[in-house]
Amino acid sequence: MSDADRPTETHADHEHHAAEGPGYATPQAAIEESDPEEVAYVMGLYVGTDVDAPDFLAVVDVDPDSETYTEIVDRVEMPNRGDELHHFGWNACSSSCHVEGLERRHLVVPGQRSSRIHIVDTKERRNPEIVRVIEPEEVFEYDLSAPHTVHCIPDGQIVISMLGNADGELPGGFLELNEEFGIDGRWDPPGEIEMNYDYWYQPRHNVMVSSEWAAPETYYPGFDLEDVEAGKYGRKLHFWNWEEGYVEQTIDLGEEGQIPLEVRFLHSPEAAHGYVGAALSSNVFHFFEEGGEWHAEKVIDIESREHEGWDFPVPGLVTDLLISMDDRYLFFSNWLHGDVRMYDISDPANPRLADRIRAGGYFGDPAPVGDRELAGGPQMLQLSLDGERLYWTTSLFSSWDNQFFPEEGERGSVMLKADVDPRKGTMSLDEEFLVDFGDLPEGPARAHEIRWPDGDCTSDVWQ
Amino acid sequence: MAVSHEVVLERSDRVETIDVPGTETVLDAAERAGIALPFGCLTGACATCVGRLLAGEVHHSRPPRALKDRHLEAGYVLLCIARPRAPCRIRVGADVQSGLVENPWK
Ligand code: FES
Repeated sequence: MSDADRPTETHADHEHHAAEGPGYATPQAAIEESDPEEVAYVMGLYVGTDVDAPDFLAVVDVDPDSETYTEIVDRVEMPNRGDELHHFGWNACSSSCHVEGLERRHLVVPGQRSSRIHIVDTKERRNPEIVRVIEPEEVFEYDLSAPHTVHCIPDGQIVISMLGNADGELPGGFLELNEEFGIDGRWDPPGEIEMNYDYWYQPRHNVMVSSEWAAPETYYPGFDLEDVEAGKYGRKLHFWNWEEGYVEQTIDLGEEGQIPLEVRFLHSPEAAHGYVGAALSSNVFHFFEEGGEWHAEKVIDIESREHEGWDFPVPGLVTDLLISMDDRYLFFSNWLHGDVRMYDISDPANPRLADRIRAGGYFGDPAPVGDRELAGGPQMLQLSLDGERLYWTTSLFSSWDNQFFPEEGERGSVMLKADVDPRKGTMSLDEEFLVDFGDLPEGPARAHEIRWPDGDCTSDVWQ
Repeated sequence: MAVSHEVVLERSDRVETIDVPGTETVLDAAERAGIALPFGCLTGACATCVGRLLAGEVHHSRPPRALKDRHLEAGYVLLCIARPRAPCRIRVGADVQSGLVENPWK
């Protein structure tokens, strides 16, 4: 039976009254106790362009009462060029609720291409600063490269999924950092998996699930169908024993599950349900535990669409997905088609399309927001903790952007927002909200993942 | 052995010439001369630094893993691991990377 519709679980076996660590006692507490987000941290990129500037962490003002609303109010420049900042994460989240003295204060910001890892102190929320840099050579010593997903783990340490070995080939693995942001070593036994990408864990079920992109040497230069035909792209989910750190079960999603990217568990720590978007096959899979085993079933199928001037039907390319904090809605983006969708997942096995917004992409008319011609489609998503404001950016990965949306390099990315009505299950594009990454002194920049200082719908895990 | 070769770097909007010792990569020599070329991994895996050899000869000091045979045959080179073996003319800049793989659906 579904346990997804119980967001306010009782914690019979998990006493929270003495909680001293960071975060919120429950997902419901995050919704009720949090204030609306005032700043957003957004990855800004110049890698792979002729703009002679390093990638940066943008501080975006998202407080409607502020004079600088929708503006980039600060930028933390990385010390080097060439990083391709991609995904990033906090040093602590609600899973560390029992670690006294720990603060959700440091962002761990990896360079996807450089394998350099930056630690940014956000004590001054609007004026964060880099306090430590782990150089690529230190990472290569563990025969790992291409850092991707950053999650804190319940004991105060940090685990990062790594997509390749030191040479950018397979296998990938996981790197563990200690509380002082030094490298502790590998989290996993090397060779346990071949490909890696995103991961999420659910401590009460002693499970972690990881997905697969490809070897860095395969996806870095761009997307080549020849590589798909050669089986160089992933299509598996790995279910790990979280405590012991080994793979207990692997599910091959098959032809319909090619390139499974973002994986999200429901936030309720009781839930043994999650979703993964298969980017290339343009499907969403529901995974769940039943009878002591994990299963994955395709629950949403995006049809490819004919496009004038294209020889083949265009896939939607489901590149990001997230679940609202109350576990009621699933949102995902079709980067090529140019739409953001909202599904009611009260019954996790049967998502029901609630609403969608078209903006950018190849079918997202009306494309411009205000006078701004968009380039790229909706991509990385982030939702407010109360589930009422959905934000997104438009860049996927510099070399893939150049292939599918060549104008994005010239015009830069935008950050957009929709107002969500969780009660009615509707969304509407906020035409007044536009953060223009095309309009920066050094030149147009790409924009990627988004996070709030007080936690968001894709970073917090509960014990 | 530290023979230097003249390397001409061509972009759509400008042409620059540098001297590259045979012991140095084209990317390092360009950095040293204050010319910013795109790069990423610095290990030959990502092709962010890719250039196209129009004349001359380079040697890749590690396997150029980001390039397929068809790219190597077409004269693409990875400037983070390429050392000149003769005077070279190389097309550089971000648009060289864009030409590496096409949109497969178009
Ligand atoms: S910088 Fe990655 S291949 Fe040269």
